[in-house]
Amino acid sequence: MTIWAKISAFLRRIMETVLVAFWRKVAPVKTPEPEYSTALADNLQMHMNLVMPLADQTAVGRAQAVQAVAANIDELFTGLSNVGTVHFARFDLVGGNLCMYSVFDGDFRAYIRDFISVFGSVFDALLGLVADPPPSPSALHPEEFIDWIHRHDAFQIPRDLTSLFPEERNIKNLSRDLVLLLDANRNVQIGRFSGYPGVSVAQIRHGTGMGW
Amino acid sequence: MEPAINWPDLQGNILRGYRKHFVRHLVLTVDRPAAACRWLADATSGDDSRTPQITTAQPWSGDKPTSCVNIGLTASGLAKLGVSPASIASFPHEFVAGMPSRSKLIGDTGPSDPSGWKREWQDHERIHLMISVHADNAAIRAAVADRIMAASGAFRLLAALDGEDFPGGKVHFGYRDSISQPQFYGVHGPDNRRDDQPLVEIGAMLLGYATPVEDIRWRVPSPHVLGFNGSFNAFRVLEQQVEQFEQFLSECADRLMTDPVGKRLLPPGEEKKWTPPMSRRDALREMVAAKMLGRWYNGVPLEMSPHSPSPQPPIGEEKLNDYGYSHDPDGQRCPIGSHMRRSNPRDAKIVQRNTNHARRIIRRGIPYGPMYDPALPVKAERGLLGSFMCASLTSQFEALQYDWTNLGLIDPRITGTNDPILGNNEPLHSRFTFPVGEEKVTFRGFPHFIHTRGGAYLFQPSISAIRYLASLGDGKAARKSSGAAYVD
Ligand code: HEM
Repeated sequence: MTIWAKISAFLRRIMETVLVAFWRKVAPVKTPEPEYSTALADNLQMHMNLVMPLADQTAVGRAQAVQAVAANIDELFTGLSNVGTVHFARFDLVGGNLCMYSVFDGDFRAYIRDFISVFGSVFDALLGLVADPPPSPSALHPEEFIDWIHRHDAFQIPRDLTSLFPEERNIKNLSRDLVLLLDANRNVQIGRFSGYPGVSVAQIRHGTGMGW
Repeated sequence: MEPAINWPDLQGNILRGYRKHFVRHLVLTVDRPAAACRWLADATSGDDSRTPQITTAQPWSGDKPTSCVNIGLTASGLAKLGVSPASIASFPHEFVAGMPSRSKLIGDTGPSDPSGWKREWQDHERIHLMISVHADNAAIRAAVADRIMAASGAFRLLAALDGEDFPGGKVHFGYRDSISQPQFYGVHGPDNRRDDQPLVEIGAMLLGYATPVEDIRWRVPSPHVLGFNGSFNAFRVLEQQVEQFEQFLSECADRLMTDPVGKRLLPPGEEKKWTPPMSRRDALREMVAAKMLGRWYNGVPLEMSPHSPSPQPPIGEEKLNDYGYSHDPDGQRCPIGSHMRRSNPRDAKIVQRNTNHARRIIRRGIPYGPMYDPALPVKAERGLLGSFMCASLTSQFEALQYDWTNLGLIDPRITGTNDPILGNNEPLHSRFTFPVGEEKVTFRGFPHFIHTRGGAYLFQPSISAIRYLASLGDGKAARKSSGAAYVD
């Protein structure tokens, strides 16, 4: 990169930062709450993408997180199975974040509630490693726990970007709105695909003779 | 250690039903907060001379009173009385947001969408308080309601909703209601238990106690005196499309008259053994109605008597709720998709394994509007004024509505279908299926039989909490007994 290209990239970054800060003040956008759908099939196979920054993001801290998940993995998996509505769940470390991604049927809050009652205590132990954890134990603070999970669940961008800002009257502002949305939400889910839409986990278990 | 239940501190309508035949729900805006606080103080003073008293759960020593009074408040009602924003923020978010904002989640869409609700429910922010008067007869009901309105001078009446019991405890659609209710630890013992379902923790109904969801306790809103011993009520005005419902039953019966499966569903001649004996078509209509609900019209459970509403020997009144579904895993007797089995799966195997008894609610409902007579069909609005009470609206009432009534997540064999009676069905996709031996009966093309026409999430405070609310008006309260403005 030439020196001029570097300078212009630097200036651009500064201008963008200033502009976003300005927009944030004069034309803030609200992150929409997840919408429930009236179509039955849209309420199955919901996604949760939990991104939880670790308190200690060094290799040592991350190793502790790996150990904590590994030590509890059987209990976590049995718990997930007992919730009854979970298709998949994964635990990943991405950068300095402990992530839990899962696909479940039905209402998010009901899922998290079942989750607390089935393996809240194990999860509480994991949350000890996370920066800014919710009050513990989760069972005695279910509302705070659910709100905390909701805040750490990456925002899911719908297929139709324009539906994100129903109040925006000027179509030209949509890209600005999107920038501001991403400014407020570092982690987002951009798209999801299902090979068998509109089917619950219990229907799959039942249909394949696994017992549900 | 759980605190013992302090009966005189609870409002009386939560853990027991009064079984009064006449109810008036006064839906109110608080116009003068200081006067409203004064009324709350008067209504919990023990002195009936100024205003009728709010009925507590203290057991009655002598005769039953001829009327009972209870109250519930919305979040905007609490704010109007002077509850601080911080305190309101400590209430559950769904209560603060209000029923209309939860419409999609609870299935209030299409004909039940809040935009089509009755006038008095349209401006949710104006709905502050509901005072419910339960009475032995219409004259007492009117007199008590008038005394409340006259004594307070604080409220503007948005609507007075009257409900009256039908003979035999029936509701529109012809079913007998108010048979099943949860029974609680510390309330129901061996001498007053009505069935073998596990007792439920009192924290399913009141704030501040252990709940049926292992280890979980719901937050008690602050200050503690306001939240403790409180409870929530999803109050709903549910209009019933009786004519359409009756027509649907007739269509199903006509089909079963010719379809061979009808013979297996109800062996020919069986209907002649019923008391009273019935024509085959009428019997098939009743059979379909029973399959949709889970009980025959007279309350006899399908699970205990799958072929007849009048089994021999008869099932005693005290036994009508004494059953489970574990011996009927496929729904041969009581369909998995029926209203009752979805709303309370009892001991059946369900998908959300730790939830069998976690969504129990107390139901108090009374019909409104004239009874439908097929011989003389009068076009009128008719339905149920329903109170669905629990400690957590989102994990009990809303969870029921969202993924059991609708969606059918409870069992993979009904997932993707809605409750045939209550669900927000539309003819293009609606489906109700149940097994008959090796075969299946499926009915399609039926509409949404129950339309929500209004409602609110109400907080039912304890008596101490009502006194606390009354104290918020101290200093400002000016007792004026000017007659209240009645708005028709
Ligand atoms: C107009 C509307 C409704 C009608 C006509 C209706 C009718 C009935 C009837 C006749 C019964 C059987 C009587 C009994 O066992 O006590 C029943 C039971 C029940 N209903 Fe409804 N219902 C309505 C709305 C609702 C709603 C909105 C809910 C829940 C959100 C609900 C939940 C239940 C439950 C939990 C049971 C008891 C099930 C059991 O314990 O086995 N119902 N209903």
